[in-house]
This record gives sequence, C-alpha cells and structure tokens, in this order.
Amino acid sequence: MSFIKVFQLIKNYWKIFFVTGVSYTIALAAITVFFGAIIGLIICVCRMSKFKILKGICAAIVDVIRGTPMLLQIYVGYFLVPKLLPFEVSEFIAVSIAFAINSGCYLSEAFRSGIQAVDVGQMDAARSLGLTYGQSMKSVILPQALKNILPALGNEFITIIKDTSLASTFFIGDVMTSFLVVRGLTYLTFECLFILAVIYYVLTKILTFFLGKFERRLKESD
Amino acid sequence: MIRTVDLKKSFNNPDGKLEVLKGVTEHIAKGEVVSIIGPSGGGKSTFLRCLNMLETPDSGHIYFEGVDITDENVDINLHRQKMGMVFQHFNVFPNMTVGQNITLAPVLTKKKTQEEADKAAKELLERVGLIDKINDHPARLSGGQKQRLAIVRALAMEPDVMLFDEPTSALDPEMVGEVLEVIKDLVKTGMTSVIVTHEMGFAKEVSDRVLFMDGGVIVEGGKPSDVFTNPQNPRTKEFLSKVLY
Repeated sequence: MSFIKVFQLIKNYWKIFFVTGVSYTIALAAITVFFGAIIGLIICVCRMSKFKILKGICAAIVDVIRGTPMLLQIYVGYFLVPKLLPFEVSEFIAVSIAFAINSGCYLSEAFRSGIQAVDVGQMDAARSLGLTYGQSMKSVILPQALKNILPALGNEFITIIKDTSLASTFFIGDVMTSFLVVRGLTYLTFECLFILAVIYYVLTKILTFFLGKFERRLKESD
Repeated sequence: MIRTVDLKKSFNNPDGKLEVLKGVTEHIAKGEVVSIIGPSGGGKSTFLRCLNMLETPDSGHIYFEGVDITDENVDINLHRQKMGMVFQHFNVFPNMTVGQNITLAPVLTKKKTQEEADKAAKELLERVGLIDKINDHPARLSGGQKQRLAIVRALAMEPDVMLFDEPTSALDPEMVGEVLEVIKDLVKTGMTSVIVTHEMGFAKEVSDRVLFMDGGVIVEGGKPSDVFTNPQNPRTKEFLSKVLY
C-alpha cells in the first residue's frame, strides 16, 4: 500500500467517497434511527399494554429480528418490500425499511428498560394526585425515562453508521459502495480500504464526541 | 367520609398466594385523625393504598364521600384528586423544580390556572419553609425537605383527606421532627388524616383514634390513651411491649 496512491485516489475520487458515500451513509443511518425510534416506541407501547395478542405479536417480531442476521433481513427487505407495496420504491427505501425495523426492535428493548428503570413510586405519586395514566406517563415517567434512553439511542446511531456498510450489498451508494466502485475502477484494494476505515472512524468519533457532551449536559441538570 | 366494607387483598408470590388483607371493615369520619400501627407485613400500607385504589382490592367495597370507588364505572381519577397521599420514599418528581412539582397536578386536572397554582404554591412553600427552594430541583433538597415538598404537593390539590404512608420511616433521625411538625400543623387545621406510622409518640399525640393492624385485620382500635396504656388484645400488648420502652 502506498500513501501516494491514497492521495491520488482522494484527489480523483473524493466526490464518490466523501460526498456520495458519506451523505448516503449518514442519510441511511439518520432515517434508520428516526423511524427505528418511532417503530421502537410503538412496539414498546404494545408490549407494555394490556392486550395479550398485541403483546404476543410484538414479542414474536422482536424475537425473530434479534435471532436472525441483519444481512438476511436486508435481503428480505430488498426483495420483499417492493413486492408488498403497490407503488414503486427505490432500493434505498426498501433497504431503509429493513434497517428501521431491525433498529426498532433493538430500540424497543432499550425504551422498555428505560421506562421500567423509573422508580414505580413516581407513577404511584402521579396517580395519587388524580392524574390519568396518560398524563402521568407524559409529564412524569417519560421525561425521566428519556434520560435513561438517550445514551442507548446515541449508541444505536453509532452502531447503525457502521452497520450501514451491509447495505453496499445492493450498491445503495453508501461509503462501502464507494469502495466497491472505486476498487473496480482502480484495483487499489488496500488504499481504498484505508480511506474507508478513516471515514468510518472519524464519523463515529465525531458522534461519540457530541454524545458525550450531550450526556454530560443531561447529568448536570440532575 | 371513608368507609370500607370487608376489604380483601392477596398478592401472588412464588410460594403461592399471600393474603395481606383478610376482610377490613372500618369507618373514618370527617375531621378525624386516625393512626394505623402494627408490625411490618400486617397489611397497614396495603390498606392505606387501597383507600385511594392504588391497590385494587380483590373483594369488598370502599365508599368515599358516599361513592363506591371500587366500582369499575367510577372515574377514580376524580376521587383521587380529593385524596392526598404522602409516601415513605417521598416520590417527588426529580425532573421538575420544586414549584413545578406542586403546580403540575392542579394545572393538568384543570383545577387551577397556572397563575392560581403558582400563587398557591408560593403560599404552601412559605408555610413549610421551602419558599427559597422554589426554583431548585429536588435533587438539591434533604430528605426532610423532600417530604415537606411531597406534603404540600398533595395539599395543592386541596384534598378532603390526607393519607400518610410511613412518612418518616425513610428519614434520617434528625429530620423526623421537621416533618412531624408539618403534619401536626396540618392536623390542627381539621384535615381528615389517615397515618400509617411507626412513631408511637406521634401517633399518641395527634390521633383521635389508633388502629392496631396485624395479620391482615384490624385487631384493636380506640382512643390512643386506651390502646397505648390499656391494650386489650394479647397481640397488641405484645407489639406495644416491644416498641414502647
């Protein structure tokens, strides 16, 4: 591997690596975490509800998603989603849906434990004042649970940034895809991999830095 | 004001069913101050938590101001608004300031506007000496201050009855006094109160009536002077001989 070639690669293909690759990776991760959080919240609410059937269905979904490889789920998403939906969807969206469902299942567990970690006395106190279950959840339990959940949400974002590399299987356009493309053009495997490693590393480091800052700020308000 | 008829409650535990209340029939009159004493596991707290339906009894009835609140068609939230409760572990809301702790329920239940609630909160905090903490978070309060906050939080709903569930059991000894003072002052205003407590001296001093609970039933009840100095039931005698020394 030669660093001169690395610089040449960057000079010639920076757009594919840093613009297309990075933007697709971040977009995919952001979409995944955003919709994953929504899906996770829905699953979490269902699992904590009184309806046994709903509970069972959600538990089964989480169980299957956690018990199968993510790559397999991406394949299923890629091939199945376009068949299920009546309108045309891009490959990017089909893969995003698979990612979001996967992430939602993991996040639902984080949400559940975050809510259950709030002292039961808090619910007692809120209900004893005459607040409804919903009011107690919204004003008392969830704001406290959020503090428990936010670090997990941040970690999920970092994990997803790295996991999006799996999407390159379908040439989605993420950083890993740009590796496949540029290597195909130049045959400079190790130089390309080096650039990739740096990109992923810097991305996750930046995120970790901001998360750390954010968590410290949350702690100060205690 | 509160009347219970044959209240029964069991909890499921790994060894099977644990019957905590074995039929409690009792009447608490308006303006009355009733202390409940007895050994741990005797059903005192469960009985108290049934009174505002934080625990749902398995059978029996609870009439609060004439309404059977064990009826499923009753909106329990409306009745809870008239029953303040103070807990052993304070259960103040750590995500809000002291002021917000007090104004949350009156505003959410549309009992008061934010302005009215703020004004009432200031008066209440003045009363218990916490006015300078109004914008602090509960994390910066001592145990005694938290419990005083919990008391005025309940009072902000202008309840007809106050339920105290071992209000001083989790406090450091030097903070017990300040909390008991607040409860004493409150009781003097004629507030109907039910107090589960291990503070025998306090129970003797403030109560109109003392109930001794053990084994899921009210074993004995009566004027504090009678129960404490001349207990009739052997179980009461045994318990008091252990705690009064």
